[in-house]
Amino acid sequence: MANDGEERPTTTIPIGPIHPALKEPILFTLKMDGEAIAAADFAPGKAHRGIEWMGMRRNPVQILYLAERICGICGVSHSLAFARAVEQIADIEVPERAHYIRTIVAEFERIQSHLLWAGVAAHELGFDTLFFLAWRVREAAMDVIEHLTGNRVNYGIIQIGGVRRDITEEQFALIERALTGYEDLMDRLLELFLEDATVKLRCRDHGYLSREDAVGLCTVGPTARASGVRMDVRVDAPYAAYGDLAIKPVLPDGYMGEIRGDVYDRIVVRLIEVGQSIDIVRQCMAQMPTGEILWEKKVPKILAACRKAEGEALGRVEAPRGECLHYVRMNKSGAPQTWKVKASTYSNQMSWLPMLKGEQLADVPIITASIDPCMSCTDRVAVVRGREQGVMTKEDLHRLSVEKTRRLMR
Amino acid sequence: MKLTKSFNRSLWVYHVNTGSCNGCEIEIVATITPRYDPERFGIKLVGTPRHADVLLVTGPVTHKMVDRLRRVYEQTPDPKVVMCIGTCGQSGGVFYDSYNLDGPQDQVVPVDVYVPGCPPRPEAIIHGVVTAIAKLERLEAEKQ
Amino acid sequence: MTAEKMTADEVMDLFTSAFGDGVHEAYIRTWGEGVARTKTPSLWLRIDRALLHDAVKRLMGITCPHLAVISGTDLGEAVELVYHFGIYYGTEGGEYMISFAVSLPKDDLTVGTIADLIPGAVFSEREKQEMLGVQIVDIPDDRRLFLPEDFPEGVYPWRKDDSGIPDTMVKNLWEVGRPTDRPEPPVAEKEHGGETDGE
Repeated sequence: MANDGEERPTTTIPIGPIHPALKEPILFTLKMDGEAIAAADFAPGKAHRGIEWMGMRRNPVQILYLAERICGICGVSHSLAFARAVEQIADIEVPERAHYIRTIVAEFERIQSHLLWAGVAAHELGFDTLFFLAWRVREAAMDVIEHLTGNRVNYGIIQIGGVRRDITEEQFALIERALTGYEDLMDRLLELFLEDATVKLRCRDHGYLSREDAVGLCTVGPTARASGVRMDVRVDAPYAAYGDLAIKPVLPDGYMGEIRGDVYDRIVVRLIEVGQSIDIVRQCMAQMPTGEILWEKKVPKILAACRKAEGEALGRVEAPRGECLHYVRMNKSGAPQTWKVKASTYSNQMSWLPMLKGEQLADVPIITASIDPCMSCTDRVAVVRGREQGVMTKEDLHRLSVEKTRRLMR
Repeated sequence: MKLTKSFNRSLWVYHVNTGSCNGCEIEIVATITPRYDPERFGIKLVGTPRHADVLLVTGPVTHKMVDRLRRVYEQTPDPKVVMCIGTCGQSGGVFYDSYNLDGPQDQVVPVDVYVPGCPPRPEAIIHGVVTAIAKLERLEAEKQ
Repeated sequence: MTAEKMTADEVMDLFTSAFGDGVHEAYIRTWGEGVARTKTPSLWLRIDRALLHDAVKRLMGITCPHLAVISGTDLGEAVELVYHFGIYYGTEGGEYMISFAVSLPKDDLTVGTIADLIPGAVFSEREKQEMLGVQIVDIPDDRRLFLPEDFPEGVYPWRKDDSGIPDTMVKNLWEVGRPTDRPEPPVAEKEHGGETDGE
């Protein structure tokens, strides 16, 4: 079809919203040059529920529960960020014990989120056995979370001015058992994920994101850390109990010796962070102060304090995927005047564009999954260009990815 | 396993996300993991609606997804069971007043089984599938 | 880039002295949590919109900033956009959040883009265009981001005046009743009060 002197016509492949490779609806459009991707574009918007607009009609305590359901995987990060912002505006002092409980719950959320991602990444590569193993291991963290908060997902434990439930002595023993279990497994998990020859072949030097791109496109979280940017809200601007603990951002050169900014480095960062979370929870349990867990137990009094509050503030936390920021502005009325949510995937999604350039179609699932996208936090984007159009279902894409693994294994 | 005349093999499940918060997604994927292990009954997640017997639909239906949900429903071959997972698909849940949501799921596709919860536990989802099978048997018996 | 780290006051003075009358309000708030109460400052500046591009350039001269997000408020007479930046990340306990707020009068809702300085700002700017009706001049890509294509023009969800969401567009999902064309359930439905409101 190509004439002499004209460039080869490119195929455009839309990878539509209903998609097995990603659990959320996303629409990708890939301009193909043969087998390699020439340009990528994507469009968010299919999970847009108008949450910020709804938030401007509700009072802060109601917004806590709404914020939690922005995303099921990083729910407590959103409600914690919102609660922090409101506490700064209304000048509410949170008791110290509540800070530690918030930290423990947030770290368990990080453990289960990273193990969830590890399973999904393994599934994208075709390692279903590893997927099932990672999720079975994750169940131990879910059990602890259920004991502490009462639910596996959407905990409802954050309240403005503290937390709603306390951690008792028996629960400490339970947490300790779970942590010991995970410590025994860490070496095995690292070996299974990182020492495998096929994983190395598929992930090393694919999905490369340079440090300049990472900073210019405002990436956050493990995606940025894997490219060498030392950015971690827990260390840079400590909140809750992190100011009292000794932690450092996890970068791949601590384990691998060098930073290459590819998919493999992102796996390394996330798995090492699971180990870091175990350490943080141990430190918290050792240093846990006694005292109250709520600034004020009666909800109407909290609402009255919020109604008198005026001002603006930023609440930032380090969600499992990166920095999660809530900007709240109140003006002495029941509902906030402005509420802006920035989830981590909002910042990270721009990094898909340089990462996908030059890659093969079969690598698309693992590369898109490597930034740990959470589109319900963001919303998707879709763009279509080009002269020819080809339609691919998610199943085809996933099948391509699995076939590539089998080919490499031979 | 021989369930009914319509479904005399194991049930294959296809999952559609119409804009949910992913809480139900995690619980659905957790249901197929070794702890709850429905694969011993032959239930597994497939990647295309054309292979599916059961449609698991999550999320309040956003405006952009209405059309796609209908298309997926039409692409699934009969006989099929549609399960609505999660409270936001049934009455809006936390998103009860929004400008971009087009109604609970039963306004878009006919729903057979509702599994409430935010999100429902994996045990509840399995119970929902069992209820769906029981409903099918009841409907088959009524037809005779 | 200045070699050593500036204090929050020094950063604030840099901007207030450079812009003079262009700065309408400037304050620093510190907040600390936990037992040790490690305080981190956040700087807030309200400046003229013409100075925004220059302000971002100066910020990039201090150190490499990280644009978190651009937020927007409808203040009645004007729309205010707030640009949130983080600087000195990577230093333990030493990150400052600095926010520039620009006020745009409603009869002239335009502001220049900063996407030439920070490529990652495009998404946030596109979102403000569709949610508040702000025109970002010279934006590289002005398609809609989150709202569906058939969303009516001229309706901006975050506005509190006439161009906000009209009541006709809001659907109350809980008011929708049971569908009537389905087979009968095995359990008989209770009369009046079978469905409890607000469960």
